[in-house]
Amino acid sequence: MTQRRHLLQAATGIGASLLLPGLSAHAQPGGARRFQGTTLNVSTFSAAYPRLLQQWLPEFEALSGAKVNFDAPSFPVYNQRADLELSTKGSAYDVVNVTFIYSSRWIDSGWLTPLDEFIANPQHTPADWDVNDFLSGARAPETGRDGKLYGIPWTAEALLSVSSRFDLVQQAGLAFPDTTDDLVKVLRAVNKKERVAGFVSDNHYGWTFVPYLHAFGGDVFRKAPDDLFPTLDTPEAVAAADYYANLIREFGPDGAITYQPDQVTQALKLGRVNFSDAGQLHLAQLGDAATSKTLKTVKFGFVPKGPAGRFPGTAVHGLGIPAGSRNKEAAWAFIQWALSKQTTRRAVAAGYGSPARRSDIDSAEFRSRQRINGNDLAQLSLDSIAQAERTGHMKYRTVSVYPQVDQQLNKAIALIASGQANARQAMQQAQAQSIAELRRAGQKI
Amino acid sequence: MGAANTLAAPATPGLRAAHASRGWQAARRRAFAFGLAPALIVLLAITLVPAAALVVASLTPLSLTDPAGTFHFRDPLGNYRHLLEDTRFLGSIATQLKLSAASVALQLAVGLALALLLNRPSRVLGAVRGAFLIPMVLPPIVVALIWKILFTPDVSPLHHALESIGWPVRSLIANPDTALWAIAFADTWQWFPFTMLMVLAALQMMPADPLEAASLDGASRWQLFRYIVFPHIRPVLVVCGLFRLIDSFKAFPLIFVLTDGGPGNVTEVTNYYGFIQAFNFSYWGYASAIATVILAGVFALSWLVGRLGWSDHGKH
Repeated sequence: MTQRRHLLQAATGIGASLLLPGLSAHAQPGGARRFQGTTLNVSTFSAAYPRLLQQWLPEFEALSGAKVNFDAPSFPVYNQRADLELSTKGSAYDVVNVTFIYSSRWIDSGWLTPLDEFIANPQHTPADWDVNDFLSGARAPETGRDGKLYGIPWTAEALLSVSSRFDLVQQAGLAFPDTTDDLVKVLRAVNKKERVAGFVSDNHYGWTFVPYLHAFGGDVFRKAPDDLFPTLDTPEAVAAADYYANLIREFGPDGAITYQPDQVTQALKLGRVNFSDAGQLHLAQLGDAATSKTLKTVKFGFVPKGPAGRFPGTAVHGLGIPAGSRNKEAAWAFIQWALSKQTTRRAVAAGYGSPARRSDIDSAEFRSRQRINGNDLAQLSLDSIAQAERTGHMKYRTVSVYPQVDQQLNKAIALIASGQANARQAMQQAQAQSIAELRRAGQKI
Repeated sequence: MGAANTLAAPATPGLRAAHASRGWQAARRRAFAFGLAPALIVLLAITLVPAAALVVASLTPLSLTDPAGTFHFRDPLGNYRHLLEDTRFLGSIATQLKLSAASVALQLAVGLALALLLNRPSRVLGAVRGAFLIPMVLPPIVVALIWKILFTPDVSPLHHALESIGWPVRSLIANPDTALWAIAFADTWQWFPFTMLMVLAALQMMPADPLEAASLDGASRWQLFRYIVFPHIRPVLVVCGLFRLIDSFKAFPLIFVLTDGGPGNVTEVTNYYGFIQAFNFSYWGYASAIATVILAGVFALSWLVGRLGWSDHGKH
């Protein structure tokens, strides 16, 4: 039995070596495996790509000899655990997800390991691994002030608009809304038609509201990352908050302010809500013929343009190595395998909807998969990421104190939408509390 | 010493026996203490050391973004001073008190009512009693998910049923006027079995004679309850109330899953606020100060239990 298992492992290893030539450096001559006896502790939040990696782990283990413990709790739980562990510079994890809103805090606090030396060293990384294949807009938030790269992106996604029942919009003789004014006009025409609520969004408003804040000419900080004085009580910010909370209050389903991302996706797939703004990874699920009732009626577009322009939200998550890891070489071998061209292409073939490699995004397979009911979701996302890179409007999101302000925005929109405060009161409160929190965090503002 | 010896010399055989007995009892107590000492030391270490670490951390401005630079004692009471000015913290105490009062009162009322109804020798009632215990043994996160479904109008069988009979109800957890009540209701569902179980136990230990005698004297059912049953179970109700009150300070999973402290701050209780400070903002010193205040509150309640005598085994 043991012999049979060894044979299977060896066969898998040979297969994986052929599939992943970049990792051949880790297989020693004579079949000895370089990281035999090493245990790698990997942690990310639960998402489509980590789930695929978990399935394929035996191949990496057979190839490298390392044993991998892969933990993937929910997003908030992961962030809390990782934040605590990284801050102690402990060695509990060897590979972690570099979460977008924590990236600056983790990188600039020296809690992660720079990866440039691993990438440049041919002993560790083959030339065809090609780090420049990852979108430059996705590498930027994984780069520290020192110009070094601390995370390799596995997802680069944009916040896009969706109408799950665009047929109702067409019946009303209207087009997909391009501006914030258009959106209200369309929602007034279609709200509650066929018992479909007009609009809902994930109640993480520090993510979903900010494109509207920018569109109205407002911003979170005066000039992130250099001037972090909050600007939540400007007339533009108040107008944006009033507009956005009204979308939820007037056109939202019952209990709209309690909706979380998966609830939003389900509501869109079942056609219970018409319009929303959501990440590409969630929206791609509307193309699943087995579970989506709105596959034939869905339409995607950019987030609406406001008086100041269009500012799509983008998010990037990557894999990095904690500063305290005792198995950095093995950890890099894992990251290199997990984000090699072969593995990412395989993920795309398995239906993964948010790759960060340009070669994957440009592949015919991905493009055809991302074409849902005539919409090119991939192109919309690429254009949004490129625009965010050009304007730099997402810089607010990776500063170390954003989690504090993020929560003030969540509270402010909920206060307005639930009728507990008007927009001016809620945003003035958010401003005052953000200033207090930033001062407590030692920011000189 | 000499005087003591002089006094001891003419002691009678009875007194000598009493002295010997006391000596033997003292030796027995020492032996018990010696045997228990290792376990007590371990117990004290695993309970007191973390608590001491909490109090020590609360005297520092410790922040995980700069652990080395913020672990100092330059202003040891700074966090506590800040707590007195923190309107969100003060609001969270008010929310905590409202939630505790509502949920404990509901749990006592429902638990008492059901215990009185189910206190009959019957197989069916026995099965019903068992079924009522289920919420209490469910993991808190499962309870929270059950109520998340029940309180989400889109998928809730409760909302659908009410709508089908022409009585639609808006989302309770999205409405600032009802969100705290929704949490209290779900908490009551989970914990009324505790009161029910305790009261049932008290009722089943109650002697039948006084009830029979009062019935023969023509007492009504209400008078039987008011003057005989209630005085008998009152100590149990007090203990249940205090235990549930102490436990209500730990409300967390329901709030985390159902409302995240919202809408706005209407369901943000003190320990949830402490959780946000520690895990969202990394202010471990400040969060420790909040936790220390909660700990002091819980100790005060425990002291109250002791003062009322319900946990004083020495008297029995």
